[in-house]
This record gives sequence, structure tokens and C-alpha cells, in this order.
Amino acid sequence: MSLEKGKISNFQLSVLIVGFTLGSSVIISPGQGAGHDAWIAVAVGLIEGLFIAWIFTAVVKQFKDKTIIEINSLVYGKFLGKCISVLFIWYLFHLGALVLNSYIRFFKLEIYPATPKTVGLLLLMLVCASTVGRGIEVLARCSIILVPLTTLVAISDTFLLIPHIDLNNLMPILDVPIGKLLLASHGAASFPFAETVAFLMVLAFVDKPEKGPSAVSRGLLMAGFILIMVVARNAAVLGQMAAITNYSTYLAAQVIDIGDILTRVESLVAINLIAMGFIKISVLFYGTVLGLAQVFNFRSYRPIILPVGILMVILALTNTENTFDMIDFANKGYPIYAISFQIGIPLITLVIAKLRKLPQTGGDKV
Amino acid sequence: MIALVLMGFGIVALIQIPGLVRKQWWRELICFAFLWFMGLILSVMIAIGIKLPPISTIINKSITGMFGI
Repeated sequence: MSLEKGKISNFQLSVLIVGFTLGSSVIISPGQGAGHDAWIAVAVGLIEGLFIAWIFTAVVKQFKDKTIIEINSLVYGKFLGKCISVLFIWYLFHLGALVLNSYIRFFKLEIYPATPKTVGLLLLMLVCASTVGRGIEVLARCSIILVPLTTLVAISDTFLLIPHIDLNNLMPILDVPIGKLLLASHGAASFPFAETVAFLMVLAFVDKPEKGPSAVSRGLLMAGFILIMVVARNAAVLGQMAAITNYSTYLAAQVIDIGDILTRVESLVAINLIAMGFIKISVLFYGTVLGLAQVFNFRSYRPIILPVGILMVILALTNTENTFDMIDFANKGYPIYAISFQIGIPLITLVIAKLRKLPQTGGDKV
Repeated sequence: MIALVLMGFGIVALIQIPGLVRKQWWRELICFAFLWFMGLILSVMIAIGIKLPPISTIINKSITGMFGI
């Protein structure tokens, strides 16, 4: 019995991927380690991200209408498959808590300094829980409305910032040592592009699974171009400040001032963060609860939505001791930590499935 | 604060448990009860000011120590 009755189109999948990839990256620029060459790091990271996406979509292509949890049970056997699935679910859960954490740290620092973190987290989590409970179709429809609006704001912000852009801030190009650039590129690939590995829980519900891989690539390319534009714009407007500030997009939007009439546009950037953060957290939350329900053979994933949501909020509150620790984890530990989930599990699964010639058409039919 | 936490968890239990019992979904009920209880214990610990271990910091320290970054 399938736990998800809904189906989404390939176009909805692409838009959902754009929203997911923009997620917290609309506010925390990726590739910061490369200084003013961050946009090059993001471009190289996009290529690595596309390669990782090719690996995990190849797994789904092989097993069509199965999620990674069902695929693991077929490839590794029941017990080992469930152990690997639990590790993957942990990654989704932990990543969801990390996004919640970065979201609430931004709001506490810039927008609502007097509001307790728990209030903001619980409110966002309630909205995400409500959406997840209604299934993947509702989430995809939300993204169809929210992603174009966010893209529009990112593009209009760029146009409004044209008077403040100083191209000298981007010069000299490729100034950073190649090792540092590659490290920053891998950082940009692991956050946010390769995080789309979470869609291993969603790709099974696309109405035309054979076109799923191209829809994923299209979404990644679209999100990649938006991010390159935003990162290059931030560096061109802010100069050296872009490399040292945590929220360069927000800071760049603060510069916009059209004749003292159009100011405080940064609020729109904050709204973008809520919208894209909502999509990213919802996809990760959905993957976590659906995954758990499949591991334990539940008849529905809905009964565990609220307790899992509460645990995600608790992890978000206690994830790191301070903002410095969070940034240190994002720059140093996370790119290595995430490799095993983003490349390791899909690649090993694909290789073993090919070696075992799975899915078989006889007794082991899928 | 603890009263608020207990009230919140009570509401969650009231929303979920009657439906699960009516449908006799015992497997789901056990998993729900386990997660709910874990959440309750951790929330009460936070509410009374007990510091929980920062998981990402621990993972970061282990990885940076292992790879000498």
C-alpha cells in the first residue's frame, strides 16, 4: 500500500527543486570561502551538484516508482536496508533542523530580536506540519506560487542595485588559490545543490518518472543561475564585506534607496527566506516522516508528523552552541559529513543494484 | 514554562491518540507514543534549563579532529 496517493508533474518537480535549492541560500550565500570569486565557486559547485543529481536520479530511473527506503530494502536486504534507510532519514531530519536553525538565527539577529526563538520555530513548524499532512501535491502547488515570486524579487533587487554595482569589486577574477576555490566549490555543491538528494523521497511520485532526471537538472540549473546572479551581485555591491558578512543578500538589499521613496527592500528578502525556507523544511520534513513510516510499515505517515516536528524544533534549538559554531560546521565539517549521504548512499546503491541486476523481472519483481 | 510545555504535549496527544485507538493502529500508536515521550522529556529538560549536547558541534569537532582541518 502506497503511503502517498498524490502525483506531481515534472514541471512542479522542477519548481519544487528551485525552491528547495534557493531555500536558505537566498540569505546565506554559498561559496563564501572564495571571497569575491564566490560566483565562480557557485558555478563550479553547480556542475558538481548536477553530477551528484545524475547519480541519484539514476537510482530512481532504475527503480521507477520506489522511494530510497523501498530501494534500500530491495538492494541490501531487509535488515541492512532498513539500517541504511534510518541513516538517510537522520540526514533529512538533521538537515531540516539545520535549516530551521539558520532561519531562526537570522530572524533573531535581524528582524525580531525580542521574540523568543521557540515561538518563531513553532509557528513555522506548524505551517510545515499542516502542509506535509496534506501531501506532496499541496507542497508542489505552494511552490508554484512562491518560487516565481521569490525569483521576481531576486531579479528586481538586482535591477534596483545596478547603480550601486562596482565591477571592480569582482576583479581580479580567479584571484584565490585553486585549492581554496575548489574547497569553496565543494562547499557550494554540498550546500545547497547536492542537498536535493532529499528528492529521493519525492521522485517516486512524479507522474512521468522517465522524465524525472531532466526535471531535476532543469530545476538545479534554474536555481544555479539565480544563485550565481545573487552571489555575483552581492560581491559587486558590497565588495570585501560580502565575504565576511553572514547575510550578504540582506545587507545588499539594505543599500537600495530610490529617491528616498523605495527603501527598506530588505524586508522582501526576509519574506523570501520564509517562503523558500518553508519549502525546504517541508520537503525535508516530508522525507523524514514518509521514510520513518516506510521503515516501520505504517499505514499512514500522518500520526507521526507532530512528534517528529517537535523533535526537529528541539534539535534546531540545541544544534549548535552559537552562530560561530554553526558557520564553522557549515564551512568545515558539513561538506565532509554530507558526502556520505549525498554521494555515498546513492552511488553504492546504484553500483550494487547494477551488479545484482536489480530490479529483476522474476521473483524479486518490484 | 513547564505548564505550557505539558499543555502543548497534552493537546498533541488529544489530537492523535483517540483516532489511532479507534482505528486500532497499534504499531503507529507505539511509535507515536515513543516519539511524543522523547519530545516531552527533552522539552521539559530545556524548559528547566538543562543544556542538551549540541549535536552539530559534536559532529563538527569529530570530523575536523579526524581530518585535521
